Amino acid sequence: MARALVQVRDLVKSFTRGTERIDVLQKLTLDVGQAEFLALMGPSGSGKTTLLNLIAGLDQPTSGKISVGENVISEMSESELARWRTRHVGFIFQFYYLLPVLTAYENVELPLLLLALTKEQRRKQVTTALDLVGLADRMDHRPGQLSGGQQQRVGIARAMVTDPELIVADEPTGDLDTKSADEILKLMEILRAQLGKTIIMVTHDPKAASRAQRILHLEKGQLVLDTAAGV
Amino acid sequence: MFGMPSEMGPTGLDPSMGLLAGYLLGVLGGLNLLALGLGFITLPVFFILLYAVEQVSLAISNATGWFPAKLVLYMFRGLRRSPLRTSLTYIALFVLTLVLSMIYSVLVFIGRVTTEKEADFKAITTHKTIIPSQMPRAHYEQFKRELAKLPDGMRPKNGEADLMAWSFFLGTTDPISKRPDSNVFAFCIEPRKILTMMDGLDDLTGKEKADLDAAVAEMERDKQAIVMSKMRMKKMNLQVGQTIKVTGLNYTDLVFDLRIIGELPDGKYDNISFINSAYLFSQLDAWKLNNPKNRTSEPHPMDAKCINLIWVRLPNKEAFERLAAAVNDTGNFSNPQIKLETASSGFGTFLEAFKDILFGMKYLMAPAMVAIMCLVIANAISIGVRERRTEMAVLKVLGFQPRHVLFLVVGEAVLVGLMAGFMSTLIAFKMIGNLKLQIAFFGAFFVPGEVLLYGPMLGAFVAVAGSIAPALNAKNVKVAEVFSKVA
Repeated sequence: MARALVQVRDLVKSFTRGTERIDVLQKLTLDVGQAEFLALMGPSGSGKTTLLNLIAGLDQPTSGKISVGENVISEMSESELARWRTRHVGFIFQFYYLLPVLTAYENVELPLLLLALTKEQRRKQVTTALDLVGLADRMDHRPGQLSGGQQQRVGIARAMVTDPELIVADEPTGDLDTKSADEILKLMEILRAQLGKTIIMVTHDPKAASRAQRILHLEKGQLVLDTAAGV
Repeated sequence: MFGMPSEMGPTGLDPSMGLLAGYLLGVLGGLNLLALGLGFITLPVFFILLYAVEQVSLAISNATGWFPAKLVLYMFRGLRRSPLRTSLTYIALFVLTLVLSMIYSVLVFIGRVTTEKEADFKAITTHKTIIPSQMPRAHYEQFKRELAKLPDGMRPKNGEADLMAWSFFLGTTDPISKRPDSNVFAFCIEPRKILTMMDGLDDLTGKEKADLDAAVAEMERDKQAIVMSKMRMKKMNLQVGQTIKVTGLNYTDLVFDLRIIGELPDGKYDNISFINSAYLFSQLDAWKLNNPKNRTSEPHPMDAKCINLIWVRLPNKEAFERLAAAVNDTGNFSNPQIKLETASSGFGTFLEAFKDILFGMKYLMAPAMVAIMCLVIANAISIGVRERRTEMAVLKVLGFQPRHVLFLVVGEAVLVGLMAGFMSTLIAFKMIGNLKLQIAFFGAFFVPGEVLLYGPMLGAFVAVAGSIAPALNAKNVKVAEVFSKVA
């Protein structure tokens, strides 16, 4: 494995429901290499999405340490995490979560608004991102005017427009037909292979997982299997 | 007011207490319905305006690429996303700002007429205890003598021009079937005083002044002349130059042959006419001497009651106090006793009867309306925030700070508040202000210009107050919780 971009050490995440304590992740340790495409699989409630949220800085662990590159994100405050996410992480969601009142261009531009860029620099980056996902000709369309596959491609453009080193994807093909899903997975492979992005993808779909380089299986908050794809 | 008989009035309605009570309560109640209707009617205009401002915002954000401009643009887009909710929010804020603008206008109006002036102010003499105030002509003559006794520096600066007496006259052109639209209500007055003592007529300029000057000169020459308001003449289908026979209603058995020689400008004196008081007095004298029914030459029943108010403009407070002492002296004025008040004090005394209504309007109704509207806005915004919870979470995922989310939510409400406030107060100022509604004899009601500033500010304030709680809720949305629920 290449040098680890993501390092997770003794990660514990617990929730309290009433008087009951639920340990979603239990002393989990994991490394994800630079430019690695990792798939996280496991049954519902196994802790996949919780792990993804923690690695992406959307939530904070009960204990343990998470580092992404030089940053120890498990020690950051909420506003520090927000700033860090803008520059270092791209998100791809199952249901795209594009803002319906904004055009494709404006949706992709959103994270760039938080960076100190000129209007021209923003335009260049948005156009490049939309070009990469093959939607440069649809930049003035609203999400409602695009198909599911196209919306997810806009979502991918939005995830990569700030040029983050890490992209996290939560069931990115879960809402798509086979053909569209295949296109999205190809795009993710391109992001890894050509742009050197590290991708962590949560999926239930073995076919989607097989496109990753490595598959981790979680059960009851613990890693039970770590395999190379196709094994 | 100040002794005007209750049956008198330009339209045959109760002109004093009933009129004011009607305006304060009836109009206020109706105003809510009117505001609601206007809110619905102006909805398309609101959305056109919203779209127009959005385009301006788009142009600015495209030209500058400035982040706050983009956020404002997204607020406008957000408002268009749910037209029903935006419409209801707009209507609620529209009604609130319109009604409160009107309440504010009424309070300003009352404040203006009850504010004491320190110099060159008017004072009113009325019957000491009885409403309606009625005094004999001899009181007016005695009053003039008392004025003349004041030392230098306390007498009216312009002499006789600063003094007038009003005799209210109500008559009908159709004594057989009396109807409000055949009634003539007039102030019987010395004609020259129209130009010097009547508020709103003493400061005319240009053609209006020239016409009124000519009409006054004609009234002095021909004591059977009458000057009527344009509105009254239109209602009665009369024109300048016509003669009318008016049978007295409060001056029973007196018939007046009048020639319309001029018209009053629109506004404060709508429905009012002016007759030379000398004609009224000569009619009373003629009744005593020549009426065949009056074999004992008794004076007319109204002869000793034909002066209703005496107005005087005084130079200072000392003059007022000195004159008030003379008026209170029963040696001067005994039958009946009379009193002297400043005009503003008189208005204040009159409004005393309505102090509970005014208190309620100012300290109960207005705050209650603001509170209710805050709750309405809070409810509407809360629903919007709940619907867009995932969207707020996505923004935070992308790196937007909690304050950005707060700004977006509050900003949308404030935009609606500002626009609703602006539109409602513009309508209040332009339309309702131009109706020139008259509250008793205070003159035409107007909507002060500052409501154009206060209305949008009120709309924005209520929007902020109503949206702050849901905005804080949106600000504090936990991203991981939102997505775990979605998943």
